[in-house]
Amino acid sequence: MTDQLVRSRSSMPAEIEPENAPQSVRDVLSFTLADETYALPLESIHEILKTPPITPVPRAPADVLGIISVRGRITTVLDLRLRLHLAHEPASARARVLLVDSGVELLGLLVDAVQQVHRLNPDEVELSNMVSGELADYVVGIGRPGARRMAERDATSTEELLILLDPAALLRRVV
Amino acid sequence: MSEGDAREEFLAEAQEIIEGLSRDLLLLDQADKEGRDDPDLINEVFRGVHTLKGIAGMFGYHQLGAVTHALEDLLDDLRLGRVSLTQNVLDVLFEGVENFQRLLTEDPDGPPVDLEAYAAAIDLVQAPAPLARETLEDYALDSSVLSVLTEYEEHRLRTNIEQGVTLFRLLVRFSLATIDSSLEELKTRAKPLAEIITYLPSMGGGGGEDIDLEVLLASRASLGELRSALGSQGEQLSEVRRHTTAPSQLPPAPSIPAVASVPSRPTSAPPPGPPIASERPHAPTSAPGPMDEEDAAPLAKDAPGDPLSLRSVASTVRVDIRKLDHLMNVVGELALVRSALGNLREKLRQHADEREITRELHRVGRTFERHLSELQDGILDVRMVPLGQVFDKLARIIRQVAREHEKEVQLVVTGAETEVDKLIVEELSDPLMHIIRNAIDHGIESPKMRELGGKPALGTLALNAYPKGSHVVIEIEDDGAGMSIERLVETAVRRGLMSHAEAEELTNEEVLALIFLPGFTTRSAITDISGRGVGMDVVKTNISRLGGIIDIHSEHGSGTKLTITLPVTLAIISALLVRVAGRPFAIPITAVQEAILLVPTMVRTVEGREVVTVRDTTLPLCRLDELFGLGTPNRKKRSFVVVTALANRRLGLVVDELEGQQDIVIKALGRSLSRVPGFSGATDLGDERVALVLDAAGLLEELLATTEWRRAGDARLAEGVRHD
Repeated sequence: MTDQLVRSRSSMPAEIEPENAPQSVRDVLSFTLADETYALPLESIHEILKTPPITPVPRAPADVLGIISVRGRITTVLDLRLRLHLAHEPASARARVLLVDSGVELLGLLVDAVQQVHRLNPDEVELSNMVSGELADYVVGIGRPGARRMAERDATSTEELLILLDPAALLRRVV
Repeated sequence: MSEGDAREEFLAEAQEIIEGLSRDLLLLDQADKEGRDDPDLINEVFRGVHTLKGIAGMFGYHQLGAVTHALEDLLDDLRLGRVSLTQNVLDVLFEGVENFQRLLTEDPDGPPVDLEAYAAAIDLVQAPAPLARETLEDYALDSSVLSVLTEYEEHRLRTNIEQGVTLFRLLVRFSLATIDSSLEELKTRAKPLAEIITYLPSMGGGGGEDIDLEVLLASRASLGELRSALGSQGEQLSEVRRHTTAPSQLPPAPSIPAVASVPSRPTSAPPPGPPIASERPHAPTSAPGPMDEEDAAPLAKDAPGDPLSLRSVASTVRVDIRKLDHLMNVVGELALVRSALGNLREKLRQHADEREITRELHRVGRTFERHLSELQDGILDVRMVPLGQVFDKLARIIRQVAREHEKEVQLVVTGAETEVDKLIVEELSDPLMHIIRNAIDHGIESPKMRELGGKPALGTLALNAYPKGSHVVIEIEDDGAGMSIERLVETAVRRGLMSHAEAEELTNEEVLALIFLPGFTTRSAITDISGRGVGMDVVKTNISRLGGIIDIHSEHGSGTKLTITLPVTLAIISALLVRVAGRPFAIPITAVQEAILLVPTMVRTVEGREVVTVRDTTLPLCRLDELFGLGTPNRKKRSFVVVTALANRRLGLVVDELEGQQDIVIKALGRSLSRVPGFSGATDLGDERVALVLDAAGLLEELLATTEWRRAGDARLAEGVRHD
């Protein structure tokens, strides 16, 4: 597993490498999946769509929900829950599709609900070795928005954790 | 124009020139083999290379510029007869075209272009040919004429004399106002019988309105024949006779001694444009823009004839296919707007007091619809290109491969004008190239073998194209050795694809189709062009990706014929919309023969497969709900069979509902879905509905293959079925 972690670190965008990180501030968009909060770099997200009717594609890989038309362009939508090996649940009214560029094509990622944009200071990002297993491939670290303020007030108990995902790794295995 | 655009423009133009060169070289090759001498073609090639050099210089393609420069020298020598045309020279010319192509595409996989080796190859063939010893002084030619002949004209004059062609002198008077058209007429009339070497204003001079010309012609025809061909213009035609005594007052022919020492720079010889009128009547007469310093001067001098103009002559534009794709998308969006408008109109119709405006809207809607379909047809038409584009490229390969393998092959092409969508043409060149290499390498025998077998030494490879409904059929046929059923079976058994007993059961056609299996080759020796066992399966995959089908017929001993059936366009198609388990799917109408109501009692089972009998033939059925895993197991009250057919294959797709026919714009599925079988794309139906478009060719392959190849146990195909 450590091997995988090392590998996923090596594929991280340069700006969150610890040695380069100190001065950079990152904006991330947080969203929920199965009661946990995840986040993707804001610049990787092209658009947030209200979930349109999705046309399933027979015989497609299991984590492919289907296709939608985004202004005339056929776009594949993945179920991010399945991708991250979380339990599948029918989409609620709060569900959204995040349009993310995989480098090859625009892909839609279905999430349970979109929360907000966080600005993370370097000291609010912790390169994680807490996660392991399959998830480790996709996770670059843990964000603790407001960690600074919390520390001042000594109120660590209510701290919010963001699981920071690496969009490149997330979309790479889509074949 | 941005730099990128300029580069694109350059690449497109260079590509066009190279294709032209390739065509001309093939003609030249043919002429040479038939023992003909075609100066016009050499000039054409020279001009092409010259133009290429010019634009390569402008766009900073220095390597390309260097190759063109070297080649141009060689061509100039050919033009002027310093080097004579041989197969070796042709090889060097063909190699030049290959090098251009490689330099342009900068193919990282290809071997790098070895410019030094190529320059050496050019030098080798460029050794000067022996000079003509026949002197011009023997002829009663006016010294004033001889002294102004260009080097090229003099060369043509000498060649004609050497070949014993009679020279004629023609005096004509043209009105200055109509000289261009009169000259054209003269050329047209003379062309079948004679070569016009030069024409010059005659010493006598014309009146104010007229000009007298002295025309020097070479012809094998008699004076009388030539005169009658020239009609009213031929009145003052006379033969140029040989002197019996060489008159000493004639100056020596101007450039003979100089020939060997003339630096072989292209600028030393002006192009063969006649000094007075344009060779190409529609060529722009303005001076061309300078190309580079070296060429600017001679070009300006030649401006009136200007065959080297950089300015495009044709009133055409080149368009990036992606722009057309974009336009097609817009048309698709407009079609959606149209149906939205239709819905609004329906709503409006409910209100009795809006009747007037409803009618108005209906009328406007109809006009909109008509123009929209015109627009759609127009864009489709623009995308169409003749198959000749890809055939020309193949002709070059055929010559090269045949030379490499010491086989004699002639290419016979029919239907090169058949038009297909540009994208399809692009995608076709690789598969066709492979088929043709196979045909030459494995199919056509060596000349000796052919003669032993009672065939002409010269093998024939035929490329035939013709439209068939909304499809195009391309046949590649050779008169070579054909395939041996026994050997194919033997190979299949040896490779463990099937047992002997199983092989016995296959029909000949099924055996032949074995060559499309991955890794199948009967060749024991691997040659550099084929026999690696990759190929025919890739060919088949590529063809099916285009929605096409490939079939094979072969007679052992007399040849092989591959038949490719392809849709004309992929961009917009008519489709039958159906529903399966409540979901919409589109089936391209070109693949649909008919749709019939499925009566459950009609269904029979043959070898565990459902079939029905339609018009006295057995039709295998495929229930799409089962195939796609959408099954609601209770056999519902009513369903339909859509009879799909391509080439000679037929399959009945069972669907729940027929929704009707509609023009759809097919959009590609993302890369993430490229491995999902059965769909060629998706289409937007409006109202946020997206329907998958069935890949009829793929489904036919997949589903029929499972019965045909069940015994063959091919892993790839078996995998295809296991999906459901």
